[in-house]
Amino acid sequence: MLTYYKAQTLADALEVLGRPDVEGRALIGGTDLLVSVAEKEDGTPWVVVDLKGIEDSGEPLVVTDSGMRIGLTLTMAELAADPDAGSWYPALTQAAGEVGSVAIRNRASVVGNICNASPASDTAPPLLVHEANVRIASAAGERSIPISSFFRSPRVTACARGEIVTAIELPRPVPGTSSAYRRLTRRWGVDLITVSVAAAVHGDGRVLLGLGAVAPTPLLVELPVGLDLDDRQALADVLDEALSVATPITDIRGGADYRSAMLRELADRAIQAALESTRRSGNGRSVRN
Amino acid sequence: MDARFATESRVTVTATVNGEPRTFTVPAHRTLLDALRDDLRLTGTKSSCTEGECGACTVLLDGKTVTSCLVLAAEVDGHEVTTIEAVSRDGATDLQEAFLEEGAVQCGFCIPGQVMSAEYLLAHNPEPTVEEIRSAMSGNLCRCASYNRIVNAILSTSKKRVSTGE
Amino acid sequence: MSDALRSQSNGISLENGLIGTKTKRYGGLERAMGAQMYVADLDFPDALQVAIVTIPVGCADIIGVDTSVADTMPGVVKVMTAADLPSPMPRFGVSHKDRPVMADRRVNFYGEPVAVVAAETKEQAEAAARAVRVDYRELPGAYTLDDALAPGGHLVQDPSDPTVRPKDPLRETNVLEGQTIEWGDVAEQEALAALIVEDSYTYPMMTQFPIEPLGFVIEPTDAGGLDIYCPVQHPYLLQRIVADLVGLPLTRVRVVAPDPGGGFGGKQIPKLEPVVAFLALQTGRTCRMVLNLAETTMSIRRAGSQVHARTGFSAEGDILFHQVQVDYQLGAYADVAPRVMTKGSYVAAGPYRIPAVSIEARAVLTNTTVSTAMRGYGCPQVSWATESQITDGATRLGLDPAQVRLRNLVANGEEFVKGDYAAKADGEWKQAVEKAMSLAHWDDPLPEHHGRGIAMAIKSSATSGLSQSLVRLLFDGGALVYAGTSDMGQGARTIWAQTVADELGVPLDRVVVVSGDTDIVPFDLQTSASRSTVFMGTAVVRACRDVRRQVREMYAERAGLPVDDFRDEPGVLVTPDGPIALDAAARTALGPLRGEFLGQGTCRLEGRKGHPLGGDASFYEFNCSITEVKVDPGTGQFVLVRHVTVCDVGTELNPIQVTAQDEGGAIMGIGQAIMEQLVFDSHGRLLNPGAVDYRVPTFQDVPLDLCTGSVENHDGPGPYGSKGMSEGPILCTGAAVGAAVAAASGVKIKDLPLTPERVWRETHSAAQDVTV
Repeated sequence: MLTYYKAQTLADALEVLGRPDVEGRALIGGTDLLVSVAEKEDGTPWVVVDLKGIEDSGEPLVVTDSGMRIGLTLTMAELAADPDAGSWYPALTQAAGEVGSVAIRNRASVVGNICNASPASDTAPPLLVHEANVRIASAAGERSIPISSFFRSPRVTACARGEIVTAIELPRPVPGTSSAYRRLTRRWGVDLITVSVAAAVHGDGRVLLGLGAVAPTPLLVELPVGLDLDDRQALADVLDEALSVATPITDIRGGADYRSAMLRELADRAIQAALESTRRSGNGRSVRN
Repeated sequence: MDARFATESRVTVTATVNGEPRTFTVPAHRTLLDALRDDLRLTGTKSSCTEGECGACTVLLDGKTVTSCLVLAAEVDGHEVTTIEAVSRDGATDLQEAFLEEGAVQCGFCIPGQVMSAEYLLAHNPEPTVEEIRSAMSGNLCRCASYNRIVNAILSTSKKRVSTGE
Repeated sequence: MSDALRSQSNGISLENGLIGTKTKRYGGLERAMGAQMYVADLDFPDALQVAIVTIPVGCADIIGVDTSVADTMPGVVKVMTAADLPSPMPRFGVSHKDRPVMADRRVNFYGEPVAVVAAETKEQAEAAARAVRVDYRELPGAYTLDDALAPGGHLVQDPSDPTVRPKDPLRETNVLEGQTIEWGDVAEQEALAALIVEDSYTYPMMTQFPIEPLGFVIEPTDAGGLDIYCPVQHPYLLQRIVADLVGLPLTRVRVVAPDPGGGFGGKQIPKLEPVVAFLALQTGRTCRMVLNLAETTMSIRRAGSQVHARTGFSAEGDILFHQVQVDYQLGAYADVAPRVMTKGSYVAAGPYRIPAVSIEARAVLTNTTVSTAMRGYGCPQVSWATESQITDGATRLGLDPAQVRLRNLVANGEEFVKGDYAAKADGEWKQAVEKAMSLAHWDDPLPEHHGRGIAMAIKSSATSGLSQSLVRLLFDGGALVYAGTSDMGQGARTIWAQTVADELGVPLDRVVVVSGDTDIVPFDLQTSASRSTVFMGTAVVRACRDVRRQVREMYAERAGLPVDDFRDEPGVLVTPDGPIALDAAARTALGPLRGEFLGQGTCRLEGRKGHPLGGDASFYEFNCSITEVKVDPGTGQFVLVRHVTVCDVGTELNPIQVTAQDEGGAIMGIGQAIMEQLVFDSHGRLLNPGAVDYRVPTFQDVPLDLCTGSVENHDGPGPYGSKGMSEGPILCTGAAVGAAVAAASGVKIKDLPLTPERVWRETHSAAQDVTV
C-alpha cells in the first residue's frame, strides 16, 4: 500500500526516510523508481518521499572557479545543456545527454541516477574520472565521500537508511584536462549500455578511466603516470593490464568476452577522443563534444 | 503511524490540465498516465509499455515532455499538464496536417506521443536537421515504422513556420 | 489469375479519379488529434478489470490452485479456475482445436493462464492474482527445437489424453504437421554441379510488438449473449469461435472491432478472449482485460526456424538443385502456425527456375509462447536460408549475386513450383529487380568497410476466401460502404472510400466507411495475407456496380425506355440524351418515395482440394531488396547506409499509403534482421518481454537512405489491376542485410539477428582462424 509524502525540508525527508517501521523510498525524477511501483502493490505499507519540493536543497547547478555542485533536483537535460558544465566536464554532459530519451532526460535526476547504483549508469564513469565527491546528509549531519567509494554493489550505495545524497561536487579540473565518454549499445536509438568508458586526460598527466557495465559497480582505473599516449603500443599494453580489473558477465545485453573486448576498444576510443579535444582547443579548456 | 502518512493512501491532486484547474482523488500509486486516461477521461494519451520506453504516453509537464507512465499523479499537484487534447483544441494544427499529408499516420496509436515530442522539438529547435529530428524523436517508437514520414512532416512544418515567421 | 477474381475494371480510366492518388488517410485526422477511440479508450464505467494468474515456469503439472486468500481480497468479484469451466476443458483453435480456454491440469507455456481474477479495479485484480497460490510440479519442458525433436524428449501435447490429436500418426512426437514439396531428380543435377553449398541457418523467435497492446472488453447482454469489443483482425472468426465455445448462436454474439493500433498478424486469432467470455457469463458483469506491451510479447510471437540447405550451381551460376529441410518452431498450441509452415515452405525454393527441388518442412511444437501469424507468414524464415545460399554460391563462383539471380529468375507465366500443384509467376518480376538495382546504384564501386547485398522472395497471397460488401447510395448523394476489413494501419478504409467515390461519383467527404461490427457489416473472412485490396476491393467494386445497375434499370423503367438504351459508368449514367451525374439519376429514379439504392458485392474464391496451400494463390507478392552497410570492425556495429525495396504491386491505388507500408515493412524487416529476438531461459521463461530488452527499430535505426519503389503493370486480379501489398518488404530483408554484412566483412553469418556482438564474434573468430 503506497503512501505519497511530499517533504518540505531536508530534515523532514530525513526523518521520514529514517523511520524503522516503514519502508521509504526517495523520489526525484522517478524514472527508475516508478518502473517498480506497480509490482510492489501487495498490501505492505511503504512510503514514497518526494524530494522535489524541499526548500533548502540549494540550487540545482552551480559552476564556479573552484568546481561544480550538482544539486538534488538537477535533471539530465539541464546538465547536458549547461555550457559551463560542458566546457569543464565534457564526458559528463555527453553522458547526461545520452541517457534514455528526451522525455526521460527531462525528468531523470543525476543524483537519482547514482543513487540507483546500476552498474550500467551512464553518469557514473564520467563522475569517477572527474573525481567527484558525494555529499550525504543524515539527521546527525553531513559527510562527503569520494564517488569511488559510493557504489557498493548493484543497487546498493554507501547510504545507510535515513541518509540522503544532497549533492555531487566536482573539483575544477586543472588546465589542460579534457574528457570524453563512449558507450556501446545494441541499436543506434535509445538503449541501455552494453559497455561504456569515460576517459579523462588530466592536465597534470594523470589518465583516469571510468568503466560501465563490466563489474558489480562502475569502476575507476588510473593509468600509470608518465605514459606517452601517442605511443600506441605502450598504451595498448598498459590498457590490457589496467582493464583486467573488469569482471564482465554474460546477460541479455551481451556476452562477457564481447564486453571485455569492447571495453578495450572503447577505452582506446575514449582516450583518443579526449586527446583530440585537448588538441583542438589548444588552450587547455576542452571544447564541448 | 505518523499522521502525515498514516493510513491515507489516497491523494487529492489539483493541477492545471490543458489550461483548466482539475481536482481529482486517486490512490497514491496511480500514475499520471492512468489518472489522465481513467479519472479525467482524457484518452488521447496512450498506454503501452508502462516503463518509459515507447513514448506513447508523452505529455507536457510544466512545458517539458515527460513519459507520464513514470510520473505519479500525486507529483503534479500544483503543476501544469498539457495533453494532445489541448494541442488539438481548435482543430488540427499545421503539424498534424503535415503528418496526414506525408502519410505519417498509419495505425495512429503512437501519433499523439509523436505530435507532443515533435512540437517540443520545434519549440526548442525551429530548424532541426534530419539527424537532430531522429535523435530528438528517438524515444517515440512506431511499429508501423512511419519514421521517415514523420521526419518529412516535421521538416515541412518547420519550413512553413520559419517562412511565415511563426 | 483466377477468372473468379478477374475484375471488370479493365478499361477504367484512372486519370480523373481518386484511385491512384495520394488521398489522405480516412480517420487520419482523428488519430493525429488523439480523438481516435481504440479499445482501451472506450468507457465501460461498471466493468470489472481482469488479471491473469500465471506460474513462473514454462512447463508444469498443476497440482492445486488455492484461491482462498484471493477470494476475500478487496474488490474481488470472482477468481475463476479450471474447476469453474466445463469438463472436459473446452478447447479452440483454427486447424487444431487444441488450445484449452485455461491451462488444463498442465501449464504448457510461460504465461498460460492458470486462473483469472475479476475485480473492481486493475490494481485489485493484479494484487489478488498475485495472492492465488498455485501448487505445481515443474516438468522438463521442450523449449527449443532440439529439445522437441530429441528422441524420448518431453511431449508438449500429452498423448495420454485421448482427445489430443486422435488418429494423428505423429501424436507421440512434437511434430504437429509436415510437408514435402519436390520435383526433378536431385542426384542427376548433383552430378552436373560445379559447386555445392551446404549450410545450416537459424531464424529466432520474434514478436509482433504492436504499440497498442492486446486488450478487449466482453459484455454479457440482457438477451443472454455477449458483446465483445476487440480490435481483432478477424472479427467473424472471433465471433464463431466464442459462439461455439459458450454454446450461443451467432445472432447472440456480437464482435465490435475498433480499428487496431497495429496488428501485424498478432491480433488475428483468439487467445485470451475465450476465458474472459466465460468469466463475463459467470459474473454477469462486463469484463475488461487490457494488457501492457510486455504482457503482449508474452502472448503472441512468430515461428522461429532452423534450416538446413544444400544448393548446387553450374559454373555459370545456374541453380541446378536446391534441398531444404526446415523446422518451424511453434509454441505450445497450433494456432495458425501449421499453415505458416506450409505457406512458407511452399516458396522455399524462391522465384527461380530450378530443375530439381526437395523441400521437407515440419511444424514442431515447443513449450513456448503460442506462435501465430506475422507479416511474412513463414517466408522470411526460409528466405533467410535460400537467399543466403545463393549469395554464397555466387560469391564463391566469382559471379555478381544480382546477375546470378536474374539468370535464374522465372519469367512472367513461368513455373517456379513444378508438379501437380505448380505455381507460375504472375508478374514481370525482372522489372522489380532491375528497378531495385538502379535505385541502389548496384554497379557503383564501394568504399572500404562497405558492402552491398541483394535478395528476393515471393509470398503467396490468399488461396481461397470470401469477402462481402454492401454499398448504400443515399438520396442526397452521399454513400455508406460496409466492408469488414480491419483497418490496422494499412489504410483499408481509405481505399474503400476512394473506390466508392470514383465508382459512384460521390465526393470523398460524403463517403462513410463502416467496418468492425458483426451485427451491421456483412461477412469478411479475415484481414491477412495482403488479401484485402483484391478480395474486399473486388467486393466493394461489385457492390458499387450493383448500385449503378439498379439506378440504370430503375431510371430506364421510369423513363419508359429499354434498359439497353442506357449505360452506367463511374459516377455517371449515360442516357440517350447524354450523360447525367449518377446521384441526380438516382434521385430521378427513386422518385417521390425517395429512399436509397443498396448494392451488394461478393468476392469468393474456392480452394482446390489436395493443393498443398489449399488452393492456387490469388496472386504473389514479389520483392527485391538491396542493402548497403558500413561495418565498424572494432565493435561489429554497422550503419545501414542505404536500403532499397521494390515490390510488384499491379497498381498503386494510393501511392502515399503504399510508400508508408513499404517503408514500414522494410524497417520491420530490418529490425528482424539486426536486433529482434525472444530469449527464453532453461525454465522456459521469457527473459526479454517488453520494450526495455526486446529491441525494435527507432528513428535512429532507419537506413540513412531508405528507398521504396513499385512496379505497376496493372496486371493484378484486384480492382484496377491491383495486387495486394505490404508483406513484400519484409520477406527477404534478413538475407539482404546478411549479404551486405558478408560483403563488407568477408564473413558469412548464418544466424539472425545480426547484432553487433554476433558480427564482431563471427568476424573476430574468422580473423583468428586466419592467423592461427
